[in-house]
Amino acid sequence: MPKDRIANHIRRLRFEHGEMTQQDLANRVGCTRQTIIVLEKERYVPSLSLAFRIARVFGRAVEDVFELVEVG
Amino acid sequence: MNAAWIGLALLGGALALLAVGRFVWNLRPQREMRGIPITPLEKLGWVGLGVTSFVGLGLAALVVFEGAAGFHENQSSRLIFWALLMSGIGVWASAWAVIKRRSGETVVDERDRAILAGSLSVESVVVLLSLVAWTVTLTEVYWEAGAIPLAYLQLLFWSTLIGGAFGRSLGIVMGYRREIPVDA
Repeated sequence: MPKDRIANHIRRLRFEHGEMTQQDLANRVGCTRQTIIVLEKERYVPSLSLAFRIARVFGRAVEDVFELVEVG
Repeated sequence: MNAAWIGLALLGGALALLAVGRFVWNLRPQREMRGIPITPLEKLGWVGLGVTSFVGLGLAALVVFEGAAGFHENQSSRLIFWALLMSGIGVWASAWAVIKRRSGETVVDERDRAILAGSLSVESVVVLLSLVAWTVTLTEVYWEAGAIPLAYLQLLFWSTLIGGAFGRSLGIVMGYRREIPVDA
């Protein structure tokens, strides 16, 4: 079975939305700024509900923000 | 017979040192996790490590100076221990109140809760090691007497409780410094 990883476009989408700060996004989705940082570094895979909340803030579908990338 | 016990004790000591070394090694921030600001829960973890170390070392010092029976019988020793314990709890609670006040809107989120849940495994290991150490030591020392002094019950309880809190704090700090799995 191939190994997968979850990539995301949070950093780009933040800048496309008026250079939204990590703290602003964190406040709007109900998590800490540190969690947004590790999400952008792709060192943490969010729960489905957090993924949906982030996508909703950007007015996008979840698959526009997060994508499954096959590794190897 | 003695040589076998000494060998066993040396082996146990070496294994304990290895385990402690691994814990300390895991405390270093890994490359991907560097530069990330400390979270409120991680701050509380560091406070917990400090407080439990202080109270635990205080209890150990009292037992070394008074002996287990002395600690049990001497009311002033027990009062000093209670003062240490209460001041430790007070420092911990005050630190949490300050940390919460200075944090953003969300103090603890899903990632913090996952790390908190993972820290239970470190706490379990510390509690288990404490119980094994007490059981083996007391059994060996009081085997001939056939009975263990009542004074050790309190020490066993307090040391396991403090050790558990230390392990939980250690698990929290380790959780933030280890690489978080990124596999889908």
